[in-house]
Amino acid sequence: MKGDVIKSLVFLLLVAGSLSANGKDRSIPPDDLVYCTVCHGVNLMGNSLLKAPRLSGMASWHVKQQLQSFRHGWRGVHEKDLAGLEMRPMARELTDKQIEQAAKFVASTWSDLPRKTIKGDVGHGKMLYQSCLACHGREGEGNETLRGSPLAGLNDWYVKAQLENYQNERRGHNTEDVYGTQMKAASMVLNSEVDVLDIVSYIATLQPKLRQE
Amino acid sequence: MMKINDLSRRNFLNLVGVAGGSTAIYQTSLAMGVMSETGKPAKLDLKQVKGEKKSVLVLGAGISGLSVAYELERVGYQVTVLEASKRIGGRNLTLRHGDEIDELGQKQICEFDDDPKMYFNAGPARIPGHHRRVLQYCKMLKVPLQIKTNFSRPAYTHEADHFGGEPIRVSRYIADARGFLSELLHKAVDKNIFDESLSPEEIEKLRDFVKNYGDLKADGTYQGTIRGGIKSGGMVIPSASHEPIELRALLDSNFWRSGLVSSENPDWGDPLMEISGGMDGIVKAFVEAIRSEIVTNAQVQSIRNTTEGVAVEYHHGGKRKQLKADWCFNSIPSHFMPSIPNNFADDYIAGLSAMSRGNFFKLGFQMKSRFWEDEGIYGGITRTSQRINQIWYPSADIHSEKGVVLGAYAFHGQSGFFEKMTPAERLNFAADCGEVVHPGYRDQIEAGVSVPWGRMNHMMGCGVIWSDEVRAKYWDRLRLPEGRHYMMGDQISYHSSWQEGALASAEFAMQDMDQRVRAADAATTEAK
Repeated sequence: MKGDVIKSLVFLLLVAGSLSANGKDRSIPPDDLVYCTVCHGVNLMGNSLLKAPRLSGMASWHVKQQLQSFRHGWRGVHEKDLAGLEMRPMARELTDKQIEQAAKFVASTWSDLPRKTIKGDVGHGKMLYQSCLACHGREGEGNETLRGSPLAGLNDWYVKAQLENYQNERRGHNTEDVYGTQMKAASMVLNSEVDVLDIVSYIATLQPKLRQE
Repeated sequence: MMKINDLSRRNFLNLVGVAGGSTAIYQTSLAMGVMSETGKPAKLDLKQVKGEKKSVLVLGAGISGLSVAYELERVGYQVTVLEASKRIGGRNLTLRHGDEIDELGQKQICEFDDDPKMYFNAGPARIPGHHRRVLQYCKMLKVPLQIKTNFSRPAYTHEADHFGGEPIRVSRYIADARGFLSELLHKAVDKNIFDESLSPEEIEKLRDFVKNYGDLKADGTYQGTIRGGIKSGGMVIPSASHEPIELRALLDSNFWRSGLVSSENPDWGDPLMEISGGMDGIVKAFVEAIRSEIVTNAQVQSIRNTTEGVAVEYHHGGKRKQLKADWCFNSIPSHFMPSIPNNFADDYIAGLSAMSRGNFFKLGFQMKSRFWEDEGIYGGITRTSQRINQIWYPSADIHSEKGVVLGAYAFHGQSGFFEKMTPAERLNFAADCGEVVHPGYRDQIEAGVSVPWGRMNHMMGCGVIWSDEVRAKYWDRLRLPEGRHYMMGDQISYHSSWQEGALASAEFAMQDMDQRVRAADAATTEAK
């Protein structure tokens, strides 16, 4: 308990310190990128009503990779992936340069961590997460070399939706999408809906580090 | 004790306001007939605040926001309007040559001819006579109106799985539906079913009534009628009417489920009106009349109630700015509110999150000739079972060279089908559907536009849906202010997706604020 308080204090200081130093919560999107904030919210804090996840502070390599996935049609093409279908047209016409700019902007933002909306067995989730560690990192910080997505700081409902997308052929279905197909196979480790809820609940406890990009 | 008669109505309401807050004012106002829900619009009697210069921030430059700026600046408030997009008007959007359609990721440019007659109302398009507030503003601001045909008997009803997939004239369907219904009722009269409830004289009248209503033969049978349209002749040779459609086929079909009775909804009851030259005429008139600053490209970043008023942060011109005001009137779509930092109570945000995001889709074609007029159709709507749902023919500029038709109109769940497509795919799809109703339709198309409100920049929806449950739980919470902040717009009304709902909501919010200002002033005077 006490440890938790100290941890959050340290975290707050870390955030507050970097905020005043580089003014990252004040990042103003260039005109072309205001579109991102329409669905993903102020400072990309996420909007559950539009199924647009929190992106604040997401590593730029990961943003680039996901925008490219949308552009290639690896994501956001399955008829049941409604949120993905909504996103895809935004990415379809982006140039490499625009993707670069978007990634930089996303990485420069910050917002409060999302509210937890899913209740599962965190302890069981932690056990299940052991098979995810190698790619996604102990703290859910992601792994650029292995292209393991950062998970800490994402909305729990979004992580759940993506796991379900992988399990139901809505993501990771294209053989050119090497990392996606890997993740699709990995998602099969979860044998039940309860497993999904448990691991999602655990991931929601992971604290993202504010990135200094 | 003071008698009501001793008090002016306004003073009485002030007292009610002090005692019972805004809900009490609203209920009492309704009871006293101060606020009429339809009928004659209440005259906004807002207190002049000139001396003390009270400030107001309006979020969103749609119809509700514009009406607030217009009304409040006239009684001395200092008003600033912040609009996230580069356009004023919100969902009141008329598209003409060169206009940009700012859909997320799929911008289109309207390629209609550069001609003021070639326009498409992609948002509101109809005004019924009972929408007193919209009409009052049109009258006051000298916005010209014209009659818009909505329900048209010569237009078609088309159902792919009925009547051999052939479009049939609405007049024919109505005549046969009434004819058969009357024949059945006539039979019931003959079987003495009403003998106990009606006198012999009344029964005779009922017999005449149904004969007349359905145009039955003397023996009470229905054998078709000229009311269903003239099949041939009628001028220098005798007229012939159509063979009646079989009763069974009528029952199987679906037109009676909605299209047949659509004009019986007061919002769609002919005659309707539209603004001459495009529905954005009211937006232009407001903008011309308003002196307050309307800041476009100003996206709100946070909204906070403070002890003295409301503070709003926004982005503009690459800078983060802040404005403080005594009051805030907010028409930002409710589904964006959870993603704008604020200090509102949890249940207020929960309410805004509980309303469901609605979607509308409209598509318009510029046609190189007015081929529907050659078929005897002048305005009105054809309905089809295809995904485009409806085809609207223009009521204005009859017999001019070209015309703009609405080529698809999908609501809520049905919109998604079109949203998933590229603009080109949508036009192509709608052209195929039109071809089924009017052979040669595709060749008539010169240009097209599509507007999926669920994907439009700074909108992402249209026509919020209140379930009965959500309405019961949150309506009062959202209709009434949170501190000095009012949510408004068509979303905070029983007339979602209508301009009248937007204006009524704005009017309610302004009157509520006015009561609070008066009550506070009265309290100050009392204290002195």
